[in-house]
Amino acid sequence: MREEVQQIKSLLEEQVYVTDAAVATALYLSMTLGKPLLVEGPAGVGKTEIAKVLAKALNTKLIRLQCYEGLDATTALYEWNYPRQLLHIKLDESSPTSEAEKEATIFSEAFLLKRPLLQAITEHGRAPVLLIDEIDRSDEEFEAFLLEVLSDFQVTIPEIGTITATHRPHVVLTSNRSRDLSDALRRRCLYHWIDYPSLEKELAIVHARVPAISETLSREVTQIIQQTRTMNLSKVPGVAETLDWATALVALNATQVDREVLDETIGCFLKDEADIAVFKAEPRVYADERE
Amino acid sequence: MNENDVVLLGRALREHGVAVTPAEVVAAVAAFAVIDQADREEVFLSLRSVFTARIDDFPIFEELFAKYWKRLPEKHVERAGFSKTTLKERPGAPQRGLAYFLEHWSSSRGEDGEPLKVPGASETESAAAKDFSAFGKEDLDEVARLARRIAKRLARDPSRRWRPVRRGSRINLRRSLRQSLSTGGEVIALSFKERKPKRTKLVVICDVSGSMDIYSRLLLQFIYGLQNSFAKVESFVFATSLSRITGYLRNKTYENALERLSAKVRGWSGGTRIGESLAAFNTDWLRRIDKRTVVIILSDGWDTGEPEQLAQAMAQLQRRAGRVIWLNPLLGSSSYAPATRGMQAALPHIDVFAPAHDLASLRALEAHLVL
Repeated sequence: MREEVQQIKSLLEEQVYVTDAAVATALYLSMTLGKPLLVEGPAGVGKTEIAKVLAKALNTKLIRLQCYEGLDATTALYEWNYPRQLLHIKLDESSPTSEAEKEATIFSEAFLLKRPLLQAITEHGRAPVLLIDEIDRSDEEFEAFLLEVLSDFQVTIPEIGTITATHRPHVVLTSNRSRDLSDALRRRCLYHWIDYPSLEKELAIVHARVPAISETLSREVTQIIQQTRTMNLSKVPGVAETLDWATALVALNATQVDREVLDETIGCFLKDEADIAVFKAEPRVYADERE
Repeated sequence: MNENDVVLLGRALREHGVAVTPAEVVAAVAAFAVIDQADREEVFLSLRSVFTARIDDFPIFEELFAKYWKRLPEKHVERAGFSKTTLKERPGAPQRGLAYFLEHWSSSRGEDGEPLKVPGASETESAAAKDFSAFGKEDLDEVARLARRIAKRLARDPSRRWRPVRRGSRINLRRSLRQSLSTGGEVIALSFKERKPKRTKLVVICDVSGSMDIYSRLLLQFIYGLQNSFAKVESFVFATSLSRITGYLRNKTYENALERLSAKVRGWSGGTRIGESLAAFNTDWLRRIDKRTVVIILSDGWDTGEPEQLAQAMAQLQRRAGRVIWLNPLLGSSSYAPATRGMQAALPHIDVFAPAHDLASLRALEAHLVL
């Protein structure tokens, strides 16, 4: 393994992020080749966490763009602060400055509201981490617009001119696969798939994030969660749910997961009435507990 | 493995249907230069992240990578399931159904009028559908035209109406002035407006099992037409299991789409497990269904699975969807009654139950699609 990859791995681990070679390699390549990293996987496996941890590890700023249906360029890139412009014009009404000067003033950077993408491009100091979260939730038009920004890292504002990135941000995109992304966007990115962790990895995550938990309890928790994931549920618990549950059990001073404790805390990892019914109908879960 | 092999691997992947362009190959070589070339895992992970763009590409990558890592000549890479030649050389398909048609579409062009045999279905059904099998080339074109027309109607750009929005490109003068009264006639907060969009989405789930063979060909043309004139269509086919074909139909010529589909058709034209397939659909795709979604299921309702599962899946689907339309080609026959167990189970959860056996019935569909 290349030394740099090992370094990234240990950097991530310092930030209490249990990782593997695949993530470290993907991040290393993304940084070396200057390509955005597209992370896909089921909900709650720590996709967003990658960007957060990366920012911490590099000791740089995390700029996050949360996507949603209807997200457009003004909310993502920049916008003129028109109330402020209006106020300025009003206050400046009686001053002798010329029309042209006035216009230059109100269309200067002071009146520009920087949205995440522009922020990421104009960030001084070191390259920030730009997290474009849940890109699959945005519209196809926005995706096309994003392509343009991600390929050149420059933005043209008609009133000011073209702004080019001083430091190319490290870009991480996440997707839950609720919509198929365009091939153009996929091609521009490196691809990484995160799946639910294995039992061993999940155990390690629980120990890293909930240090107060005992060995037996953590094993029980992860085993039940791993079993739950094989059931036919509408909302499969992610790692976030495992951690919530483990934290709750520690807070309740539980020493083991018996029927009573399970009933009290089941809401930590199953968030759907029908799912809870499925879980309870499954004989092996409770049977294991009674031993 | 050296740089040359990386390029060859890229080419092999492209030949096996992974979308690898020269840009990826360049990136892969660049990546290869900055990693530990002796570490198999690292090379594997790196090249995979560059060459693949979706998890579905992983298995084929893994397979081809293994060959190139050991530097085997390319001809060893051919795999029965992926090779086009073996597909064509396969001795005559037992049924002349959709699968057969797809595999032989190029040679059978021009003899479109040739009747297709109905496998496994009983006498009455084949009689009811005979006119279908004699569908000529012009009729198929008509189906395509019809699909485009319906799609246009659905996608017809933003509606005429405006709606106020918090931010947008057009200023809502009326509102802005009205609001300015509270600040003494000084316009400070602007309000905006935009055209109300029409957001009807379509999900088409088509049964391609043996009993549907004669219709599937026509319906596939219909779906193809919809898919290519209307952005918000997702299409799926199922027989014993569900597969998504949206990407196969989009932005391709019809022939090109058929060619790509033909690599996928194994297992089509077999038995039907509607309930299981719909449940599989719900697991992966139910999240995408909302009240503005019209779900169209094209099936004759001959199910070999459990009716309870079908009923449950349909109920789930109907709760989420704006409208559930079940098109049953058999409904065109006057003697047909939806008496099969599957159909009985599904009926309570269907909003529109309509025939789909000829052009007129497809035309009538248009009215149901606008929510």
